[in-house]
Parts: sequence; structure tokens; C-alpha cells
Amino acid sequence: MFNQAPSTTDTSQRSTEFQPVQGGEETTSGEALLVAAYLVMWLLLLFFVWTSWRRQLGLGERLGRLEKALGRPADGQG
Amino acid sequence: MHGKSATFPALLLATAASFVCLILYVFFKVPTAQLAAGGITQKVFYFHVPAAYAMYLSGVTCFVASGAYLYRATPTRNALAQAAAECAVVFGMMVLTSGPLWARKAWGVYWTWDPRLTTSMLSVLVYVAIVVMRAFSGNGEAERKFAAALGVLGTANLPIIHYSVQKWGGNHPTVITKGGGGLGDPSMYYALYLGFFAMTLLAIVLMWLRTRLALLSAQCAAAEEAALSKGLEI
Repeated sequence: MFNQAPSTTDTSQRSTEFQPVQGGEETTSGEALLVAAYLVMWLLLLFFVWTSWRRQLGLGERLGRLEKALGRPADGQG
Repeated sequence: MHGKSATFPALLLATAASFVCLILYVFFKVPTAQLAAGGITQKVFYFHVPAAYAMYLSGVTCFVASGAYLYRATPTRNALAQAAAECAVVFGMMVLTSGPLWARKAWGVYWTWDPRLTTSMLSVLVYVAIVVMRAFSGNGEAERKFAAALGVLGTANLPIIHYSVQKWGGNHPTVITKGGGGLGDPSMYYALYLGFFAMTLLAIVLMWLRTRLALLSAQCAAAEEAALSKGLEI
């Protein structure tokens, strides 16, 4: 997918030593970063939907307690 | 916003369908960009930019609802301002997490204090402050008005985010703000427009959902208070 440096059979071009450099070449997988970005975005969305669902459950419980206090059964439940 | 209506399920279905189309189109039709732009990681763009747009949309809704609430306080306006701030946080977090993962490939670093990145983070922090304040400072009239004022003031930062890349430079690309001439293939445009459409629907769905929840919660709290004042045990 990406253009790689062409391989060579010329042994004289091989490295004979390692020298430290500033920065260096990028080696992070683009595919992994792309998948991570999409996963994080969907997880954030799912978390938001999950908190909405939890809030709705809490609301249902509060309404149930209210209706119990009023002495009548909850409508449309069960 | 009350009663059983077919609008919400239809909107939900349209949102899901548009996201399925977007994902398939981005991954199977849209070509990969040049390595300097992040190569295959550039495909984050078709969600990252629409998410930023959805954050603007939520922010503007928060601004309008907050301003309207300050003008004349109603539970619906308060609920919409609250829901829009929550949505702005979610979309903002999407932008602030997907961007750095793309930047790691395109720029070699996850984060840099580029004007657009910094102003975007500031804006998200303002909306986080609104959400946290509403969650932990009670639900009195003064708190609601303070949150509304913050919602109005917080939106002042949104135009700054938009124009920051033009005025102050930095690393952030300008393919959209430059007039949209930066996309080299027609399918890239279609994917972006589809992304805008899908995120608009998602923003409407989420704001609708959270507004309804906030309204019901307020009504429930009022009923609880009335029941307690009549000596009923809850």
C-alpha cells in the first residue's frame, strides 16, 4: 500500500554501523491508528447512549416510586 | 417532543443508514491520500471534520437555547441548552481523540499547541464546565441561569476555532476553510458531504433524546416536590 524503499542485493550498500539520528523515520502503522480512531469515536458515542439509557432507567424508578406513593399502579409498565 | 411519534424512529433509522453508507463508501470507494497527509489514516478526516461540524451545531444550539432561556426562562429552553452542551462535549471529544491519532501519522506527534487544536480544546473544556456545573451544583434558578450565561459566552470561541487556521497558521490542514479546493478526488467530496449529513442527523437524534430526558427529569423532580409538600412519602 505504501511505497517502500526498493530492496537491493548489493551487499556493499548494507549498513555496517548504526548511528543515532534526531526523530527517525515514521514507523507507526496507519491502519492501526485508523482503526483506533474509529473505535474511540464509536466507543464515545456508545458511552453517551449508555448514560442516556441509565438516566432513563433512573427516571423510570423515580416515576415508579411516585406512582406507588400516590397509591396507584404504574401505567404501561410490566 | 411528547407522545408517540414516528418522527424519532424514522430519524434514527435514517441516521443508522447514512452511517452504514458513509463507512462503506469511505473504506471501499474513497482513495487513500498521500503519505504526507497521513496515507490511509487520512480517512479519519471523513468523520473528524463532520464531528467538528456537529460540535459547532450543538454549540450554536446551546447558544440559542441559553440566550432564549436568559430572555424568558422555560423548562424546554433549559433542557435544550443542557442537551446541546452535552452533545457538544461528545462531538468535541470525538474530534479531540480522532485528530491526534491522525496527527501521529501525518505530523509524527499526537499533539501540538497549534492554534486550531488549542482553541478547539478550550471550547470543549467550556462545554465540559457547563455539563459538570449542571450535574453538581443543583438545579436552582440561579444555577440554570449561570449555566445559560456560560452557554452563551462559550459559543464565542467557535468562530475563533474556525478562523484560527487562517489567521495564525499552524500545522492544521486548511482543505475546507480554504474554499474546499483541497480534495483531489470527487469521491472525497461526496464522502465529506455524506459525513456532514450523517453527523447532522446524529446530532439531531442525540439532542432530541437528551432534551426529552432532561425535560422528563425536570417534570419528575417537580412531581416529587409536589408529592413531598403534600406529605406523601416517596
